Amino acid sequence: MQTYEVGLTGLLFSFLLLLVPVLISHYLDLKLISSTVESVIRMVLQLVFAGIFLTFLFDLNNALLNILWVLVMVFVASHTVLKNAELKIRHLIPSMVASLALTNYALLLYFNSFIIDLNDLFEARYFIPIAGMMLGNSLRANVVAMDNFCTEIQRNENRYLFRLSMGAEKTEALIPYLRKSIRVALKPTIANMATIGIVFIPGMMTGQILAGASPMVAIEYQIAIMLAIYVTTMVNVLLGILVLMRRGFDEYGMFNKDMLRNV
Amino acid sequence: MEILSISKLSVIYDGRSVLSDFNLSVARGDKILIKGRSGIGKSTLFRIIMGFSVQDSGTISIEGVPVNAETVWDLRKRIAYVSQDTDIAHGKVKDLVDEIFSFKANKATLDRDELGQILSYLSLTHEILNKEYTRLSGGEKQRIVVLLVLLSGKDIFLLDEVTAELDSALKQKVVDIFLKNPKWTVISISHDREWENEHVKVIDFSEEN
Repeated sequence: MQTYEVGLTGLLFSFLLLLVPVLISHYLDLKLISSTVESVIRMVLQLVFAGIFLTFLFDLNNALLNILWVLVMVFVASHTVLKNAELKIRHLIPSMVASLALTNYALLLYFNSFIIDLNDLFEARYFIPIAGMMLGNSLRANVVAMDNFCTEIQRNENRYLFRLSMGAEKTEALIPYLRKSIRVALKPTIANMATIGIVFIPGMMTGQILAGASPMVAIEYQIAIMLAIYVTTMVNVLLGILVLMRRGFDEYGMFNKDMLRNV
Repeated sequence: MEILSISKLSVIYDGRSVLSDFNLSVARGDKILIKGRSGIGKSTLFRIIMGFSVQDSGTISIEGVPVNAETVWDLRKRIAYVSQDTDIAHGKVKDLVDEIFSFKANKATLDRDELGQILSYLSLTHEILNKEYTRLSGGEKQRIVVLLVLLSGKDIFLLDEVTAELDSALKQKVVDIFLKNPKWTVISISHDREWENEHVKVIDFSEEN
């Protein structure tokens, strides 16, 4: 099957489309033109960089380098999560990186060895994009969970203190908060799984179909990746909250407000 | 025998001295009423005993054990503390009871017969167990908190305005149940007259500071 590339002319036509949001923004005075332009420029630069860099990584296909690159991705993901959950980065990033790295490497190896049965488990063409799918898709849930946990523990501090005064260990008193944060964070992921294929055709599946794969191959990958994303999200979310439970409280068990930014 | 000893306790909160050089000695079985206008540091005293706040200077010991980050976890299992805020749960009352008595420290303490007796003593029925906690009235919430504390099997009680939202007959009943047991050590912060009784020692914070 022939695959059509976008090419330079195609890209020019894509950029031409930008006139639509720019004109709408102009006539309705939405004040979104400069941020749109800025975001588009960022996206283009980052993708050009990714294109060059990934070509380089794929050509080299060095296991150690691939592992290191995933670690960089984990670091950036942890940074983004903490920043968006309005937590102080320096205080939490080592434990955050450690826990995200643990889940993601474990899931990647499982995926590559049992699900797609690769000969080279660290093959760049699989290792890196799949890591990106799993990390990228669990980011939002992680932010929601950590943000929810910190908000709830402050808003309902009295409920926590009551449990401590009723003789609860710190973990026992925090379990209701942990439960709530995980549930809130995972709901959209669960809803997303239930609508996939009908409401929207996910990017990865579209990509494979456009690249010439049959829809059946594409759905096999999609099912496998969705399940892997779900597992990674749940475990990442859980570990993120456990990091907060461990590092976010002083030795008396009181919530450490110093951990929050803007306080 | 001295059960609680507070010496030279000082607390500064928001640049203002809340407690300064406060001393108190409580023997086992003592019943103490703490009075005084609000904002004077009564609740802060309880929070510090429980390790929810830390004093600026001075020491607190429970049966000779100083309250600090290591000891506070065990002390919390011995002391029953009720704060003024009765917003302690959402979900069914029954689930709250089950949760509290699922803690390792409380596993063996729940006595269902006693639960029934205390419910009826507090003019409540078993039906309340199936209600949503957040939908209860202030007085009902307060009685549920008292119920949990009484069931916890502890013998040192720090009660912060536990009778404030009850009608006078119920206030008297709650006061009676806490005062009647000679082994229980009870310190109560309250504005209610029902606590003023010949066996209760009164400490007025307005005079102390």
